[in-house]
Amino acid sequence: MKTDSLVGAESNGHAETEALPALDEPQVAPRVRRGFSRAQLIGFGLLLLMAALPIPFGDFGFFVGQYALVYAILGMSVVVVTGYAGLISLMPYSFAGVGAMTTGVAMASWGWPFWLAALLSAVATVPIAVLVGISSVRLKGLYLAIATLTFSNALGETLFKWDAFTGGQSGWATVRPAVGPVNFNSDIWFYVLCLGVVFALLIMIEGLRTSRIGRAMLAVRDNELEAQALGINVYKTKLTAFVIGGMVAGLGGAFLAALVQLVTPTGFQSPIAEATSILLVTLVAIGGMDRAIGAFFGAVSLVVQQQVFQGAEFFYAFVGIYAAAVLILFLMFRPGGLVQVGKIQVALIRHRPVLGLAIVFAIVAVNVGLAWLFVSLSS
Amino acid sequence: MSLLRTRDLTLRFGGIAALDEVDISVEENEIVGILGPNGAGKSTLFNTISGFLKPEHGRILFYEDQINHLLPYERVAAGIGRTFQHVRLFRNLTVYENLLVAQHRHLSSGAFAAMLRLPGWRKDEREAERRVEEILDVVNLRPWRDAHPSQLSYGTTRFLELAAVLSLQPKVLLLDEPASGIQQKEVEALGPMLKQVKEERGCSIVLIEHDMGLLLNTSERIYALDFGQVIAEGTPDEVVQNERVLESYLGRTRRDDLART
Repeated sequence: MKTDSLVGAESNGHAETEALPALDEPQVAPRVRRGFSRAQLIGFGLLLLMAALPIPFGDFGFFVGQYALVYAILGMSVVVVTGYAGLISLMPYSFAGVGAMTTGVAMASWGWPFWLAALLSAVATVPIAVLVGISSVRLKGLYLAIATLTFSNALGETLFKWDAFTGGQSGWATVRPAVGPVNFNSDIWFYVLCLGVVFALLIMIEGLRTSRIGRAMLAVRDNELEAQALGINVYKTKLTAFVIGGMVAGLGGAFLAALVQLVTPTGFQSPIAEATSILLVTLVAIGGMDRAIGAFFGAVSLVVQQQVFQGAEFFYAFVGIYAAAVLILFLMFRPGGLVQVGKIQVALIRHRPVLGLAIVFAIVAVNVGLAWLFVSLSS
Repeated sequence: MSLLRTRDLTLRFGGIAALDEVDISVEENEIVGILGPNGAGKSTLFNTISGFLKPEHGRILFYEDQINHLLPYERVAAGIGRTFQHVRLFRNLTVYENLLVAQHRHLSSGAFAAMLRLPGWRKDEREAERRVEEILDVVNLRPWRDAHPSQLSYGTTRFLELAAVLSLQPKVLLLDEPASGIQQKEVEALGPMLKQVKEERGCSIVLIEHDMGLLLNTSERIYALDFGQVIAEGTPDEVVQNERVLESYLGRTRRDDLART
C-alpha cells in the first residue's frame, strides 16, 4: 500500500501501478539479482516463523518438525522429477533408501563422519538413477509410473537384501553430526540443522527453475514436441531431472538415517517403499508440484497430521479419509497445491481484506477443530 | 549449392504414400512456397525434414551434408527451425518464459551451476534476459510479457511462436500454415514481415499456406504437392497456370478468380 501513496495523485490504485510498461518505453536494463526481493524477504520471515513454530509444543514439536523437514527434502526430489520435468516417478523413497543405507554403511562400518557420508549418499544414487533413467525415462505417464514402481520393488529385492550394504536385520546405527563444538544430537539442534539444509535446498531448486536446464524441464513437461522444435534434447533433459531428483532424495536419505539413528532395510523393501514413495508424491501434490516451497508446505501439513494423529487409534481412519478428500479436492480445483491457494488468498486479502482473512480463519478453524475433535474423541 | 535439398524422399503410412520420391531444393535467402490440398503430404514433408518423422528412404541434405541421422534438436542446432500447424508453445509458462526457453541453445550453463548460483549461470541468465527483452520489443509482445499464451489471441500466439523460432537464428525456417486462424489484418502484415525476416536475417523460408494471396505474393518459387508427389514447380505465375495444379487443387472454376489475385 505504501507504494501506492508514493506514486501519488497520478495513480488511482493497483491497476495503474501494476500496469504493463508502455511500448515506447526505453529498453529496460536486464534485471540484476542483487539484494532481496520482497517475496524473498517474506520467505525469510516465514522460515523464521517456522523455526520458532515447534517451541510451544516442546520436545514433541521438534520431534515432529524434524520429520517434516526430512520429508521436505525428499519432497524436493519429487518437485524436480515430477513437478519440473513432469515425470511421474514412484520410486523417490528407494533413492532415499540408497542414501540412508550408504550413510549407514559409511558411518557404522567405515567410520566416516556424517558430512562425508551424506555427500557420498547423494553421489551413490547417480548410477542407479542413470540406469533406471536410461531404461524408462522415454516411457510416458502411467507406463513410467509402473516402470519405476517395478524398479522400486526390484531394488527392495536385491540391493536392500544385500547384507553387506544394509547391515542385515540389525541395520546400521548412525550418529547425528557435529560441527566443532556444536553437536546436533538433540532434537532441537537437529531441527535447526534440517531447517538450514531445507533452506539451502529451496534456494538451489528455485535457482534450477530459473536456469537453462530448469526451463528445459518445464518446457518438456508442457510440450515435448515444441521443446524439441526449440532445440531441447528431451531425453537428456529428462535424464538430468531424474539424476538430480535421485541425488536430492539420496541426501534426504542421509538425513533420514541421522534422524532415526538406526537404519534397517525393511523400510525400503516392498511394500513400505512403494507406499512411502506414493506418500511423497501425494504430499508434493498437496503442497504444490512445481515450486520447491511446495514440498515444504506439503511435508509440514502431511507429516504433522500423521505424527499428531499417530495415537488417534480408531479415528485415524477418519483422518485418512479427510486427508484423501482434501487431496482429491486439491487435484480437482487447485492443481497448484498449497502454493496456488496461498497466492489466491494473498490476492484476495489485498482486494477484499475482510473476506480474505475470514476465509483463512475459517480454513484454520475447520482444521484445528477437526484435529481437536479427533484427538479428544480417541483419548 | 543448395541450402536444403531432399532426394527421393519417401514415407508411407499403411499403404498410402504420404511422400513419394519428393525432390525439393531451397536456395539460400529464398522464400519457397508449398502448395497442395489437404493430405497432399505438406506437413509430413516438414516433419521429415525437421526430424520428427523418419523417411523410409531418400536423403535430406543440408549444405549438401546428409542429416537423416540427426535428431530434431540437432537439426535445430544445425539451423533448421520450424513452427507447427497448430500453435503449441508452453501453456504453463508466461510469454517471457516461452521466449527464454527458446534461448536454450544459445546458453551453456549447467544444472549445478544454476543450483549453486555460480557466475556462469548468472552470466547466462543476464544474456538470455537481454536477448528476450530485445525480442519483446521487436515483435511488439511487450504488453503481454507476463501473460500466459492462453490469454493471447490466436494471432498473437502465432507471432509468439514465430518469435520463439526466430530466436533460434535458423538458416531455414519451415512455417506450417502461419496464417491459419488469424485475422485478415494480421495475414496482410505477415507477408511483408516474412520478406523482412528474409532480408534482415538472410534466412530462407519454406512456407506451407492455404491463403493463396499470401502464398503467391510472398513466395519466389512454389512446389505443388499432391498424393505425396511434386506435381509442379516454378514461379507463382507458372504454378497457378499449371494444368495439374488447377485440377488437383484449385479446381477449374476458380481459374478466373485466381487470375485476378
